[in-house]
Amino acid sequence: MQPLLPLLTTLLPVLYGLSAAGYARVYIAEPGVFEGTRGQSGGPLLLRAAVFVHILYLAARGLMEGHLPLASVYDFLSATGFSLAVVYLYVEMRVRIRTTGIFVVPLVFMLQILASAYGVASPAIKPPIKPIWFELHTLAAVLGYSAFVVSAIYGILFLILYRDIKANRVSLFYSRMPPLETLGRMNASAAGAGLVLLAMAIGMGMGWARLAGVAFLSDPKTWLTIVAWVILAFAVLAYHRLGWRGPRAVYASLAGFTTLVLSRFAVDLFFHSFHTFR
Amino acid sequence: MAANSRTLDLFCVGLNHETSPLEVRDALVMNDEEVERAIQALRERGGASEALVLSTCNRTEVYARGATIEDPSAFVTALLHEIKGMDLSGKEGRFLYTYREPESVRHLFRVACGLDSQILGEPQITGQVKDALSLAARSGGSGPVIDRLLDAALRAAKRARTETGIGRGPVSSAYAAVSLATKVLGGLGDKRVLLIGAGEMAALAAAHFRDAGVAQFMVANRSRERADAFAVAYCARVVSLEALPVVLPGADIVVSATSAPDAVVREDMVRNAMKIRKNRSILFFDLAVPRDVEASVARLPNVFLNDLDALGGIVAQSLAHRRGEIPKVEAIVEEELSRFLRWHRSLAVVPTVTAFRNQVETIARQELERHKGKFRAEDHAALDALVHGIVQKMLHRPTTKLTRADEKAPEGIARIDAIRDLFGIEEEDSDADRNPR
Repeated sequence: MQPLLPLLTTLLPVLYGLSAAGYARVYIAEPGVFEGTRGQSGGPLLLRAAVFVHILYLAARGLMEGHLPLASVYDFLSATGFSLAVVYLYVEMRVRIRTTGIFVVPLVFMLQILASAYGVASPAIKPPIKPIWFELHTLAAVLGYSAFVVSAIYGILFLILYRDIKANRVSLFYSRMPPLETLGRMNASAAGAGLVLLAMAIGMGMGWARLAGVAFLSDPKTWLTIVAWVILAFAVLAYHRLGWRGPRAVYASLAGFTTLVLSRFAVDLFFHSFHTFR
Repeated sequence: MAANSRTLDLFCVGLNHETSPLEVRDALVMNDEEVERAIQALRERGGASEALVLSTCNRTEVYARGATIEDPSAFVTALLHEIKGMDLSGKEGRFLYTYREPESVRHLFRVACGLDSQILGEPQITGQVKDALSLAARSGGSGPVIDRLLDAALRAAKRARTETGIGRGPVSSAYAAVSLATKVLGGLGDKRVLLIGAGEMAALAAAHFRDAGVAQFMVANRSRERADAFAVAYCARVVSLEALPVVLPGADIVVSATSAPDAVVREDMVRNAMKIRKNRSILFFDLAVPRDVEASVARLPNVFLNDLDALGGIVAQSLAHRRGEIPKVEAIVEEELSRFLRWHRSLAVVPTVTAFRNQVETIARQELERHKGKFRAEDHAALDALVHGIVQKMLHRPTTKLTRADEKAPEGIARIDAIRDLFGIEEEDSDADRNPR
């Protein structure tokens, strides 16, 4: 299995890159949102192939190392790319619109390029105790982050389309996007899923830290993540309970996502935390 | 570009919305029986081997192949006079255009692609071309060349529709409203439309929304009788104009087309409605002049207000986009034209016979070379003679039949075409044979 890994590591960014190009072609050549999704199936097929190869890669790594392959920041990037691709494919099959792939798949490609270029050299860390808690915490965090990325992408697409419709602008972008309400729903649903996953990640992280004897409450990353979670929870609650719709709901979820992303950089730049991949 | 196609012998005589006024076009629309009569006349009196008539509200065109008519325009003028009673022989003769191949073929392809339509890229013409073909088949007008010609025209139309944006985007205000509502709300099946006013504009919009799947209509109108008549036609609920603030929160789409001098829908009404709707999106289509909906409504979040200017702007953008696609469609037309003429040229007997014989002899030679090693060297000459003899005997009858086929008669063309199809002889094979390097 060992000799297979370098091949899969090289193959993954190639496949994601080709599928990103395929989705660019879909965006340019698609006859129109209301005319179905005939032809131009290269991108979607390549993305499915890439996801399949990624599953093989993760399974091979897991079998070799005896735990989930989430031991370094590059593993985290690769797994985030993988879960983004899976979440996107799920959305694509649900709404049967391929024209938003151009906004997601290139990001997956970039994450995998970084993971493949630098990941091979990074040493895998050994979790201190109870690796299952640690792994589940990381897994939930990866899935949660992916859901928030998808939510943010659909949120931004919503805002652009909203502006175009208000201005009566029938652009290529206008013709390629799903209905505005669908984009708003996708933004809120993905944020809701991310919220649950991040709550699980925080809970399991706390459980793992407690068992490991780590003072998680004094960790700035924990606090900043909780702040971001509260903002996102408010955004999701406002959508479902307070009737927030349209740009206001999207801005609220984007504020939570921005806090989440900034918290990572803030921790690395200004604080000392046990909570980083080294 | 078009190749030499002397033997195609296809003319087209007709008129359309660009060359003739509406009353002339209306008077010349043919029903099925009249089309059959025209085709019979073209075959019997004009000596055409194949004929086709395309008659719609925007055009009447006659296509005939292999006819012995000296002046096609005069013949068709007399035919239209005989069948429709309209005399185009005088100065009205300027309404008619005449094309000979390859322009006649190019014209049909352009028509099928919607390039020659009054509304650029409209899709109905493709169905009308199909109908014309089936009518020609029923009337004995179709044949191998017309069949293939129509196939090629429909293929060009399909390519134009899928490979270009010639058919994309709304081209009427009512359709623009439906398209916009779908873009905001998604499926319209569970949405409710409130119509303020029950005049022609409102009815046209209602018809488009009903076609798009809307099943729930409410109508508010100053005249109760008109509202009732409208309610019957669209299964709508009648509400009074005074009840607008009450019913507004329940509507997802509002179409307003009254002749009221002042605004019927005010900003405060919409603001309250949005609170009750929990900010779910609502669309206003203000088709009235002066406007029925206060312009300030557009500033409210999740409220989309479109007046006639805005809808007209969308239509104009859409048409401009379609016009921008014309060169791409013209390129498709030229490709399909070349392909069709190449096919037709390849139907000549001699190149087909040569290509057919070459192909069979090549296969025999290749197989012989492949298996020669299994035989002794002294047997090779006998083996060559044996294979050559079998091939010649097998080719003799089909070659004779093909050589005797009349390439202008439908049966002859069908036979040649069948041989090409069965043996996979491409147009290029016979071209290469005809023009050896």
